[in-house]
Amino acid sequence: MSTNSMSDPRRPNKVLRYKPPPSECNPALDDPTPDYMNLLGMIFSMCGLMLKLKWCAWVAVYCSFISFANSRSSEDTKQMMSSFMLSISAVVMSYLQNPQPMTPPW
Amino acid sequence: MKAFLAFCVVLLVFGSVSEAKFDDFDDEEDIVEYDDNDFAEFEDVTEDSITESPQRVITTEDDEDETTVELEGQDENQEGDFEDADTQEGDTESEPYDDEEFEGYEDKPDTSSSKNKDPITIVDVPAHLQNSWESYYLEILMVTGLLAYIMNYIIGKNKNSRLAQAWFNTHRELLESNFTLVGDDGTNKEATSTGKLNQENEHIYNLWCSGRVCCEGMLIQLRFLKRQDLLNVLARMMRPVSDQVQIKVTMNDEDMDTYVFAVGTRKALVRLQKEMQDLSEFCSDKPKSGAKYGLPDSLAILSEMGEVTEGMMDTKMVHFLTHYADKIESVHFSDQFSGPKIMQEEGQPLKLPDTKRTLLFTFNVPGSGNTYPKDMEALLPLMNMVIYSIDKAKKFRLNREGKQKADKNRARVEENFLKLTHVQRQEAAQSRREEKKRAEKERIMNEEDPEKQRRLEEAALRREQKKLEKKQMKMKQIKVKAM
Repeated sequence: MSTNSMSDPRRPNKVLRYKPPPSECNPALDDPTPDYMNLLGMIFSMCGLMLKLKWCAWVAVYCSFISFANSRSSEDTKQMMSSFMLSISAVVMSYLQNPQPMTPPW
Repeated sequence: MKAFLAFCVVLLVFGSVSEAKFDDFDDEEDIVEYDDNDFAEFEDVTEDSITESPQRVITTEDDEDETTVELEGQDENQEGDFEDADTQEGDTESEPYDDEEFEGYEDKPDTSSSKNKDPITIVDVPAHLQNSWESYYLEILMVTGLLAYIMNYIIGKNKNSRLAQAWFNTHRELLESNFTLVGDDGTNKEATSTGKLNQENEHIYNLWCSGRVCCEGMLIQLRFLKRQDLLNVLARMMRPVSDQVQIKVTMNDEDMDTYVFAVGTRKALVRLQKEMQDLSEFCSDKPKSGAKYGLPDSLAILSEMGEVTEGMMDTKMVHFLTHYADKIESVHFSDQFSGPKIMQEEGQPLKLPDTKRTLLFTFNVPGSGNTYPKDMEALLPLMNMVIYSIDKAKKFRLNREGKQKADKNRARVEENFLKLTHVQRQEAAQSRREEKKRAEKERIMNEEDPEKQRRLEEAALRREQKKLEKKQMKMKQIKVKAM
């Protein structure tokens, strides 16, 4: 028993549970990319819908994809899905209103 | 006589008939002339056609002469008359008849004239009226880009997952021999080992180990590169970055003495000194070279005092640091660890941040981005270093002088901190007092009853006088003490 405790550093009586670090400051410190991309995606999709610019709508789709790829698992999926759906609807509406192929913005 | 008269009447009748005929001719001539005048306005327009049409006039006339002699004999005669009579204006006058005869030849004069005047320009059909897929090339590009992004997401996610699993498989045995609890996400009711990594992100994996002598627990964070994000992959092509393994060991209060010490690459130490609260307060000197202790040039040391460095740099530690210098980013031991410096808003009273005795290790995975699962085996000796450091931290104790120095340092830092907060607290108290005064004044002003107003004013005056007296008493006391 004594030799066991000497060589074995494990102490079952000293087990502490895992506490996730407080998320007050961490999300801001970690990585603002998903939040920025989410916001950008929404802005571009609104531009695409209001101003009927096809390239805006496509950029919005890209932004929402990037936001999804960079998202934290603790983040709400509803927000992600809503921005994604908004960008897809912007693309679809632009093409329904005007089925012509897209002209580059330059 | 009667016969003569009858003959005269007959002659007259015959003459009138013939005259009428000639009149018809004349009329027709006149009519034609009128027609000519009617068509006079077209003279300019059809001059070119007329210049060419005489060539054709001859041919068609011949044809028509052959085919329709009886019907159009008069017309021909009339034409001939006109040609004889008005040769100068012959072209224009023959025009209306030319039109009738040239019904089948309308196109030829027109095209020949247009060739002379307007060159044919072939206009491209606008893209939106085309029905081909080629006009939608931008859309196809966009969709291809999206597909490429999705493919990269799946591939990157899988690679990160494989790397994490490879790391865990390599280290599992060592961890299980040192810790009772390996793997915990905090959600289970009982403290049982989950035996697997906690996935926080597509590129961050956590592992919590607990149940060992000396330490409360150890949090291992595998911070891989964002392989799932195509933008990040492209950015990394410009600037290679490594995957990192961050280990944070929380020590028991009684198992670690009071010191702050760090060793690592010069760049990392400079950054940590700026960012970390404890390193900036306790290790104010620049990172020193570790060559004195046998460390390679790439590594530097930040220490609170020389004794700590002496104590930490024993043979085994030096051996670890020298052999695995390329994989070590930073090693940070501190009893005053409170995380990075938090940016405080102005006007808020600072609270002394909670400190924990912590050992922090940051290792770079070899391969600088192009990592393979087998590279994870190279990190196993570093985990041995971590375990050794835990035991060493427990064993290492400062001597009396060192302890005194350390205590002085901590007291100094606390005092500075309180001074800062004192000034801020004073300001906060001052502003609170001012607000109270303003509120009182407003109340007095709003009070309708003049009697009440006077009473309140008097009460306020009395309070102020009392405060002044108190201050004066304090000043006197301080003066007496100073004397």
